[in-house]
Amino acid sequence: MTPESMAKLVARWVRFYTRSLPAPIASRRIDEIHADLHDHIAHERGHGTSDRRIALDILSRMVRGLAADTSWRGRHARAGSVRRVALVTTLVLSVPLLAMQFTDEVAWGVFDFAVAGALLGGTGLIHRLAVSKAGNIAYRAAVGVALAAGLFLVWLVLAVGVIGDTGDPADLMYVGVLAVGFIGAGVARFQPHGMARALLATALAQASVAVVALIAGKHQAPISSVFEILGLNGLFVALFIGSAWLFRRAARATPPPLPAPGRPRAREERRSSR
Amino acid sequence: MARRKPGTLLPLETEILEVALSMLSSEQATFHGFGLAQTMREQTGSRSLTGHGTLYKALSRLEERGLLTSRWEDAAAAEGRPRRRLYELTRQGAHVAEQALADRADPAPRPFPRVASEPA
Repeated sequence: MTPESMAKLVARWVRFYTRSLPAPIASRRIDEIHADLHDHIAHERGHGTSDRRIALDILSRMVRGLAADTSWRGRHARAGSVRRVALVTTLVLSVPLLAMQFTDEVAWGVFDFAVAGALLGGTGLIHRLAVSKAGNIAYRAAVGVALAAGLFLVWLVLAVGVIGDTGDPADLMYVGVLAVGFIGAGVARFQPHGMARALLATALAQASVAVVALIAGKHQAPISSVFEILGLNGLFVALFIGSAWLFRRAARATPPPLPAPGRPRAREERRSSR
Repeated sequence: MARRKPGTLLPLETEILEVALSMLSSEQATFHGFGLAQTMREQTGSRSLTGHGTLYKALSRLEERGLLTSRWEDAAAAEGRPRRRLYELTRQGAHVAEQALADRADPAPRPFPRVASEPA
């Protein structure tokens, strides 16, 4: 075990935890640690410290910094994820652009690209923001399902319409469904307990739209049958309930949020006064 | 790892600023990572140097908060060894370091000096 072999081990670890980070951030950290290791070895050798002792010191410094390295990576990886969202959005939008070169069936205008870009990019950014708040797999899956369902619903309403033909005013009811989800998420502050309730409320709102559409006789229009109204809305209800179930699973691994400081714990106080 | 209260510095970050201030007063305006770790070890009488990750994360935090600035050493000055990242205390950093030293002299319990709000 020589100081140089230990320095190589540290360099390997640094390359590992800086992988896929933006190049300037990664190379700065790699170069800075490289210079530190060189200075460390030169300084200790100059003071007559044994190679074994230097190697152990280097190993000790690496091990004691592991947690900080990981948290530093997490912070910079989040910044990099915005770039990934932009890249994925560009790639998805390039599909219709490419298709337009070969067929007249696809005819997107600038407005279509702008709306699709805003939808995809916005959804991606919300996903990254929500996922950065908590870490477990169930939470990530729940956010993914909820956002995918929301994105698919918006796309369906804008592109072909869910109830009746494209542009049927009845489709405006879905604005209310999405509003329930967004307001619920805001009230829940992305905490899994509250998010599960918000998604259940969204599913309920979605089911209510189907019921209202049937009562209003929208199934009598030739373009949307009872089967279509129930089938499409049922699919979204299932997706929102699925997301709520995943949030509940995530909530089991997360302790319930504490009440704000100074705020009376009304339920506990009532219970204790009995 | 110590938990950070919003808008405050960790003890290690305060220590870095204080060491940087003492270097500045001995006319050493810039310092590099290993040099800093070495000086901190000497001043605290510790047997070990600060961990790599802990040290460089703290330095990057201080830089983000505008308490330190940094630049790469000139290639000519490096004389064949790897170039060092040179850090320098900003005016605000010097002020925070002075405040931390004054707080230490004052027995009032203020373990975490307050600085500007966290960067986004």
